[in-house]
Amino acid sequence: MLLTEKEARAITDKLLGYTKADDASVSVTSETYSHLRFAANSFLTSGRRENMNANVVVWVNRKRGAASTNELDEASLRAAVEEAERLANISPVDVEYVPTLKMQTYKPTLGYAEATANVPLVDRAKAVSDIISASETAGVLSAGFHQAQASASATATKNGNFDYERRSIVSLGTTARTTDGAGSGYFLRSHFDISRLDTSRISREAIRRALESRNARVLDAGVYPVILEPQAVADLVGFFGFGFDARNAEEGRSAFSAAGGKTRVGEKIFDDRINILSDPWRADLPGSQSTQAGLPAEVVYLVKGGVLENLVYSRFWAQKRERQPTPGPVNIIMEPTSQPATLDEMIRNTERGLLVSRFWYIRSVDPRTATLTGLTRDGVWLVENGKIQYPVRNFRFNQSIIQMLAPGNVEMIGTPERVGSSEGQGGSASLLPALKLKAFKFTSQSEAV
Amino acid sequence: MTTSRRDFLKTAGVALGAVTLPSWVFESEARADAVADKNRLADAALSTAKRLGASYADIRINRYRFEAISTREQQVQNVSRSQSFGFGVRALYKGTWGFASSRIVTPEEVRRVTAQAVEIARANSAFQRKPIQIVPAAKVVTTWKGAFQKDPFDVPIDDKIQFLLKLNKAAMKTQGVGFVNSAMLFVNEQKFLATSDGSRIEQYLIRSFPSFTVTAINRASGDFQTRTSFGGPQALGYEYLEKYPWLVEAEQAGEEVVAKLKAKSVEPGKYDLVLHPSHLWLTIHESVGHPTELDRALWWEANYAGTSFLTPDKRGKLQFGSKLVNFVADRTQPAGLATTGYDDEGVPGQQWHLVKDGVFVDWQTTRDLAPLLGQKKSYGCLYADSWGSVPFPRMPNVSLQPGKEAVSLDNLVNSVDDGILIYGTGSYSIDQQRYNFQFGGQTFYEIKKGKIVGMLRDVAYQSRTTDFWGACDGLGGPQTYQLGGSFNDGKGEPTQSNAVSHGCPIARFRQINVLNTAVRAS
Repeated sequence: MLLTEKEARAITDKLLGYTKADDASVSVTSETYSHLRFAANSFLTSGRRENMNANVVVWVNRKRGAASTNELDEASLRAAVEEAERLANISPVDVEYVPTLKMQTYKPTLGYAEATANVPLVDRAKAVSDIISASETAGVLSAGFHQAQASASATATKNGNFDYERRSIVSLGTTARTTDGAGSGYFLRSHFDISRLDTSRISREAIRRALESRNARVLDAGVYPVILEPQAVADLVGFFGFGFDARNAEEGRSAFSAAGGKTRVGEKIFDDRINILSDPWRADLPGSQSTQAGLPAEVVYLVKGGVLENLVYSRFWAQKRERQPTPGPVNIIMEPTSQPATLDEMIRNTERGLLVSRFWYIRSVDPRTATLTGLTRDGVWLVENGKIQYPVRNFRFNQSIIQMLAPGNVEMIGTPERVGSSEGQGGSASLLPALKLKAFKFTSQSEAV
Repeated sequence: MTTSRRDFLKTAGVALGAVTLPSWVFESEARADAVADKNRLADAALSTAKRLGASYADIRINRYRFEAISTREQQVQNVSRSQSFGFGVRALYKGTWGFASSRIVTPEEVRRVTAQAVEIARANSAFQRKPIQIVPAAKVVTTWKGAFQKDPFDVPIDDKIQFLLKLNKAAMKTQGVGFVNSAMLFVNEQKFLATSDGSRIEQYLIRSFPSFTVTAINRASGDFQTRTSFGGPQALGYEYLEKYPWLVEAEQAGEEVVAKLKAKSVEPGKYDLVLHPSHLWLTIHESVGHPTELDRALWWEANYAGTSFLTPDKRGKLQFGSKLVNFVADRTQPAGLATTGYDDEGVPGQQWHLVKDGVFVDWQTTRDLAPLLGQKKSYGCLYADSWGSVPFPRMPNVSLQPGKEAVSLDNLVNSVDDGILIYGTGSYSIDQQRYNFQFGGQTFYEIKKGKIVGMLRDVAYQSRTTDFWGACDGLGGPQTYQLGGSFNDGKGEPTQSNAVSHGCPIARFRQINVLNTAVRAS
């Protein structure tokens, strides 16, 4: 069961009470997690986990030690505190120590739904059975994964802060494959509220894509105009989203570093219709109410009108640079500053290009230019003269994300949709639009379906 | 159970009550009735599952310990220890799996959670299409420990910190090195398994993972390069840190990363590749280890990791690589990260061929996968990364066998007219059926007319699995064989982490497509 605020505070009070350290940050998390996995139109594994964890970080004479345990009896909690203190005592001085936060005030973000925390077994089994039935009717074999997680956590500091929050998320991803292995479709969506998860849409989209991607033709690798569906954008941004660290940029080891030891802040690096921001209170994508061990989260623009507006300063790096730490990001939203285009409009306005539904196995190739490699998966179609013509075989790409979003390469931007990286299995999400781009570099063909 | 808790810890090489054992983990665990507890708990789980109609059940009662130390330059960034204790029950009811787990390890909770596991299976079984079947496994009552000599959890933290700071100093000796990050991670799994077959197995495993990354920066041009360590994780104890030449490698890495900044950017095209084991293990992992997983071949992983081009009809027929190529799966190899006495459903560690003389011959299996191909026994590949995770098929150590002759690196380079020698792992990516892959590396050397003539940068090669292994025309001898590996190989839904090793000799591949990965941002 999840900890109430009162129960969580009782544990953090105990942990703080046990420590003799000069400073401390303690936390307790409680979690319920359940899943149902199916494959080849049959049930595979299904399970449930209940866990709690207590974490202790202490500083003794500015020396740091940390320990954690999932045994929450008094002796174990006390032992965890003693272990953290022992580690602190034998560690060198923590030169990056910043005193823990005093009492903060939080504006709740409402990212928790009771129904998500208690998914009825039979309802979930029935929902998955319906997907299998639809797959059987369509003559495809489906595999998928339904997961629901709810957590309640609290962090408290020796300097007087207390931060309690409950969060939940449910996701369903489904892959449908034609029995001959010639077609494959995928669709993934998530929400914090299970009543907002449209399982029949997920099933329908996966099956449609499997049937429509059969008999793919081979096209040469090369540079193509592309339309990236929100899922494809999410798969790329899943990597890109972590690249805004100020320290890395200032130390000269990031795509946002500039010659002469400077950064690219203030430079127009992206198309001027692009905003990238974090907003804890977006109704469809509530972020955490806090960031960086308790700092109250705020709206933070990373890119505004294509200009690199902010890099992310940790509390330590901000102190070193004599500026404020960044109160985010706690989520990633990419949205257009102009009227968004629909996917149909993007297709209608394409003379020749590729419609990409998803990318897979994306890895960094060159961090200097945020160049990634990976492959298309589960549906690529040739668009010609404003219409989808036929499915094509998959490709490997090698593409700089900075160049992809650069002025001159972005033709149309869609309405942001809640979507998560497929490698992340729906465990997190962003609000991202479809993109119509002038050039995207595919470097080889892939026969995989 | 024939062994007492005290006997088990002795077997595991842990000195009970010794002053070198400062850990609170053992203090909190060393209850005199621990073994009796686990057997009683197991009885409670298995009898509850049987009473509720499960045809098979197992319970794992596991404790995990983790230690992490990370540093940069002459600063310590993190020292932490954590532990996790709990149990997970798996029940097979009318051909449907159910699983439930809890951190509260008491007989009452075991009975409640076991009933929950059966209830989950029952709810799903009403809609099950193809009932799960499992092959039998012999009853085993035993203990097993890994091959480590020096338990890293017994080594003082201060020694480890000093080790890393010394390593950082060595890495920064060369002028031009800007940064160094280093870390060591240690994992201890203390696992108890009881199955409704009657097996009771207790195991103690250790894994150690030291690593570092050195960075050189040209601030004037905004350019930077990195070089990460070649020595990977191993299922060894602290002796691994003492015996492997970490300081020598760190100093060498500092020199190499500075040289890399000035190295020639590769000209794309076809080259002969000579691949060092510090690089080749990852290519083996992705292009051989994963496609020979039977759950992938049967589309069980279709929604996440993907399927495999090695479909059931290809067994014994597909020419996977050249005749030199032999891949062996092995859960008994000393220091192998996936080496274990028994898997998470009581099947003993084994060794078998996946590819023999270039032909694909077999898969990796579990008790519920084996019957789907008519096999009578499992190869023992079931594993869960936590007491709270559902065990599912995971990769054993998969290794390329060395040549019989004592062929050296020089022997392999001698016959290369225009080629590249690659050390270390870099960027890696492969498609969902394991055909098309692309790999980078850490250091690259140009080979001209049988000689190494200088350093290259911005290198990645791209190929297709069977074309690549078919192009292998030279293997180093047993003296070039080394073990590399992954500490956190992700697979499954929900994603779980598996540690796995891959051994190989130095090997040569003819005419592989090489890309230049450098792109200038506009």
